[in-house]
This record gives sequence, C-alpha cells and structure tokens, in this order.
Amino acid sequence: MNPGANFRSVASVAKKEFLHVLRDWRVLILILTLPPAFTLLFGHAFEAIAITEAPALLRDADHSAESRKLIDRLRENKTFAWEVREVDAAPPVDLLRRGVLIDVVIPPKWGHGLNDGDPLPLHLTLDGTDTDTAPQLRGAVQESLGDFQLDSRQEMIDNLPDEVFELGKKIPEPVRKQFTSAMSPWTVESTVLYNPHLKFIDFVMPGIVGLILQLLTVTLTACTIARERESGTLAQLLVSPLSRNQIVAGKVFPHLVISMLLITVTLATGHFHFHVEYRSPALISLLCLLFLVCSLGTGLLISAFCQTQSQAIQFAVFYLLPVFPLSGAFAPLAQLPHGIQLLAQVFPLTHFCHAFRLVSLCQAGASAIVGDLVFLFVGAVVTCLGAAFLLQRIQD
Amino acid sequence: MADDVIVLDRLTKSFGATVAVDGLSMAIPAGEIFGFLGANGAGKTTTMRMLCGLTRPTSGHGFVTGHDTWKARYTIRPRFGYVAQRFSLYPDLTVLENLRFFGAAYQVSGKRLGERVEALLDQLDLRPKKKALAGSLSGGMRQMLALSCALVHEPRLLFLDEPTSGLDPVHRQQIWDLLYELSSSGTTIFVTTHYMDEAERCTEVGLLQQGRLLAKETPLRLKQRIKGRLLEMQIDPAMEGLARLRAVPGILGVALRSGRIRVYSAVAERLLAEWQRQWPFPELSWLGHGWAAPDMEDVFKSFSQGYVEILEATTP
Repeated sequence: MNPGANFRSVASVAKKEFLHVLRDWRVLILILTLPPAFTLLFGHAFEAIAITEAPALLRDADHSAESRKLIDRLRENKTFAWEVREVDAAPPVDLLRRGVLIDVVIPPKWGHGLNDGDPLPLHLTLDGTDTDTAPQLRGAVQESLGDFQLDSRQEMIDNLPDEVFELGKKIPEPVRKQFTSAMSPWTVESTVLYNPHLKFIDFVMPGIVGLILQLLTVTLTACTIARERESGTLAQLLVSPLSRNQIVAGKVFPHLVISMLLITVTLATGHFHFHVEYRSPALISLLCLLFLVCSLGTGLLISAFCQTQSQAIQFAVFYLLPVFPLSGAFAPLAQLPHGIQLLAQVFPLTHFCHAFRLVSLCQAGASAIVGDLVFLFVGAVVTCLGAAFLLQRIQD
Repeated sequence: MADDVIVLDRLTKSFGATVAVDGLSMAIPAGEIFGFLGANGAGKTTTMRMLCGLTRPTSGHGFVTGHDTWKARYTIRPRFGYVAQRFSLYPDLTVLENLRFFGAAYQVSGKRLGERVEALLDQLDLRPKKKALAGSLSGGMRQMLALSCALVHEPRLLFLDEPTSGLDPVHRQQIWDLLYELSSSGTTIFVTTHYMDEAERCTEVGLLQQGRLLAKETPLRLKQRIKGRLLEMQIDPAMEGLARLRAVPGILGVALRSGRIRVYSAVAERLLAEWQRQWPFPELSWLGHGWAAPDMEDVFKSFSQGYVEILEATTP
C-alpha cells in the first residue's frame, strides 16, 4: 500500500477516536481538569516532608537549673509544640488520650546526675503507628539534647579554674592534644549533590506526573477496543480494508496527542507553582513520549485481550494497583527489598521516574538513561504490536 | 464457474466438539439474491463470517471473487459490503460521521466520498437525519444507516446478516426494495433470514440445518419438491383437531394456517376417503376441507422435520 493511502487510513481511525473523546464530555472534563488538580494536591501533600509542631508532652520531675536549660533548648526546636508540665512523679502516660505523639520525661535528680559524673537518660515514649514519625521525633529530641550538651561543655571550658591549665602544662604534649581534640565538637561538613536544598518536591515531581499520566493513559485506552468488541463495531472494522496495525495506530495517535498535552500542563503546574526546574527539555520530551506510547500500548493490550469493557476496567485496575507503591514514584526504590526492586523494573513508570530524576536532578545526559529509553521503546513496540495481534481474537 | 462470485468447498467450522458448519459446498453465481434460510443456531452467521474472512475455517475453503476467504482476506475485503446481525455503528457519531468514517476506511476519499455520501443520504431517506447521532435513530433508520455504510464503496457483493430482523413491515419493504434495486444493477446479495416471505423474494434459497445444507434451489423449484398439494381440514374446535390429527398413523405432521389444519402426509387422499366413509372423531365437527399449494413455510417445515415421504428426492 502506498504511504499516502496508509496515512489516510490511520487518519480516518484517528479522527473517529477524537470524535469519541469529544462526544463524551463528562470524561473530557475529567481528563482536562484532573491532571493539574492532582498535581497541586499531591504536590502540596508531599512538598514538606519534615514534621513540624508535633503535639508533644514534656514532664519535668527534676526542677533543676539544668532541666530548665534543656527545656529552653527543646522549646527552640520547631519540630515540637510542647506542653510543659512540672511534676513530682511521672507515671506512664497514654499518648492517644493526651493527644500527643511523644512524651519526654526529665527524671528526678537528672541535673544532679549530670554534675555528679552519672548522667541519667531522658525517658521518651513515642507513637510508633506509622513507623516514620517516631524515629524523626527521637532524632529531633537527640538533636536538642546534643545542642544542650555543647552549651554545657562550652560553659564548663569557659569556667575551668586556672589549676587545670597549670596541670595541663605538665601533661605530655601528645596526650594534651588528644584531650583538646576530644573536648572540641566533632562535626561533619557535607555537600549535597543533585538536590542541594533537599526539596522533596523536586524528587517527587516526576513521580506525581508519571503516576497521573499512567492512570489516565491506561484507563483512556483500556476501553477503546473492548467497547468496539462489545458493540460489534470491531467486526465492522475488521471486514474493512483497514489493517490491524492501522487500527491500533489510529487509536494510539489521538490519545497520544491528548496525553502529551496533559503531561505539558502537569509539568507546567510543577514549574510555575512549585518552582521545579527541568533540565534538558529535549531529552525529557523524548522520555515523556516513549513513556506515554508505552502506557497507551499497555491500555490497548489490556483492551484487546478483554471481551468486555468491565473486564478491561478491572484488568486496568489490577495492573495499576502494584504500580503505585512499587514504581518508586513516591518512596525511593532503594528502600524496597531486592526481589521487589527487580519486579519493579517491569513497570514503565519505574523507568520513567528513574530516568526523569537522573536527567532533571543529576543533570545526566542521554547515555545515563539509555537503558530506560530502550526499555520504554521496546515496551511501546511490544504492547502496540501485541494489541494489534490480539485484535483478531473475536470469537475463536 | 467463472461467474460464481461465491464458492464454498466443504467449508467446515467447529467450536470445540460442536460442529457449527458441516462440510458446506455450493456456488452462487453473480447477480443472485441468495437467501440463506435456517433456524437460529443453524450456522448461517458462522458461514457468513467465514466468507467475510472474520473467522478461520476449521477445514475446507471459501472463495469470494475467486480468492480464498482466509488466505486472501485482505484482497477481498474492499470488494464486498457487510452488515452484521447486530446494529454495529458508532452510536456517539452522527449519521454523516459514520458514513464518512466507513467511506474513508474503505479508501473512498475526496470528491468521490462526498458524492457517495450525498447519493446514499437520498437513496436511503437519511437526509433529514444526517446530523443526528446514530444512537438516537429508530431501529429502521439504524438499519438503513448500516446498509448505507456497507454501500459507501459501491461493492459488487453484499453480505447481509438478518438485515430485517426486528423491523416493522414498512422498513422491511423499504430494505427489500433497495435490495432489488441493487440486484438489478448487478450486485450479488447474500442474505440470511428466518422470514419465509423474505425467502420467497430471493432468486435462490439455501436451506441450512445444524450446519448442513438440506437444499439449494429457486423458491419455485423448492416448492415443487413437495409432492402434490397439501390437504387442509376445517375442524371445530381447531386446537383439539390439531392434537387428534397429529396422532393419526400416516400423518407426518400438522400445522395451523389461518384457522385451518394443514396436513403433511403422503397418503392424504386415502385418509380423506376413509374419513368420508367414517369420521373417527365424533367429538370434533368436520366443517369442510380443501387442497392448498405448498409455500415456503411448508418447504422449510418438511425439510427441517425430515418429511422425506412427501419430498421429491431431486428437482422434478
């Protein structure tokens, strides 16, 4: 067949598919409004991942100058919104009933212990429900406690009696230096690469974009073939001179145009609202294109495989469900067990997020993401050809 | 053979253990209106789907315009039009959009597509509805639209799967008028039906039962296959009479026609003579009798029920 006729055949199917989308105005409104709305919602939800002003109870059973200094330090920590109580005894407390996430008890004689060479531990009671919060809160208390210790040490050094210095001069120099070193605070000086301000939004943006587009593309195309099979129009298409590849191409094209538009809107929302920067626009565009064709192809494959629309919707949901937690869209993939990480490699979204972050955060070039691009390209070809192959399955 | 548009050569289709179409062989010459008559499930639709290249034959071959219906299915597709049993157009597209889409799918484009669409809108009375969504049309109009979509590329062969089922008499008449019009301009039409009056309108009829071809003749010759005329009894009460006569030895079957009981029997004259001597059913009143010429319904009943005693083995 000559290329002109081939193009006209694909265009005739594409035009028809466009009309289907335009006629179904309820879904059309949904398609156009959901992506930016979800981007804003998810973006704000994940923008600040650090905990602030967690309700916290602080019970001071010590009433010493030291405990008051520690309380001042803790009050400066923005992680907590403290309710401070002076108590004589600190029985165990029911966090849930008190409406707090953490209970800190400064035990009796705590200040005395510090000065007596026998420091007592603070008692922490933490809400471990969501596994993330408790370690963060404990870390924050420890941070304040560290600051407090630094203050105390500085104060001690400043107030050292002259005898100590006299005594120090008698100590051999290497030992003296070791002692001085031990008494000064040891710190790290870190340089954060790729996402220097540690903005979680910069990390999560590709996940948000990919997840929304994954959801829309698969559900958009999952019904297109199943609907025609159900209504009998597929048989009408198949007796026409249109080839199966032309039918599939005609179905992919309009949905590709729509989803390219949507991905642009979503990325623009991320840029203008959340100030996310995208580097290498050409590479990102190629990545988006391959990812979308791959996802549309997956939808078509599900559609061609199913006999009815309701079957297709259920298959689409079963496909989409594991993608959400396992693709690394929100949680870093490295936190998952090794076997699951391997499984995650079958999802196009995993490769999209991986490559997008490499390009956008790490400023990597095409060579770094060539594996992801090849996967998405092969996925696009295989799913589209698979859908074309399964089209023939009508009755037998 | 050169003029045979459709040829079936031991065409067979099985679905698992079920044989839907069982070794069909026949040839349909150009210009015919071939009526494929059979009960639901007889295999009419499966045969048509194999001829259209939608289903792969289990064994045997079909040929359309000389090409194998499966191996050369892409070659033959532009040459015929197909209207499926169910309404299968896009309900969310308008009449015009459906016509234009199927035109483009059949590679009718540009000026010619415009001309064809205009001509079909007039020919099938769809012009007033051209902007209406196909899903909003009445059953009759939908079927007219389905026909138009199958005709947009001016095929010389048309496959119609029960095109008039569920339609009112006015639309059925309209569709048959159109089929005659197409036939007179040389289009070959392959139509399945289970309406006897429609079978009468075909130039040739094939009788199909459980995937096998029972007969293939012109309607006239098919009717001549029934020996002689059929006895019609006028009995009161009719339903009681129907039950009693069915049990009489020598009677193959009975049917109620316009209040009279039609008797299928090879020995009708002998029975009538016996009854005239002695009427064996005192509780039934015999009001009269007559002789009727067999029609298509008699043919279908005789062939499908296997009343071989009253059937000529071959065409007289």
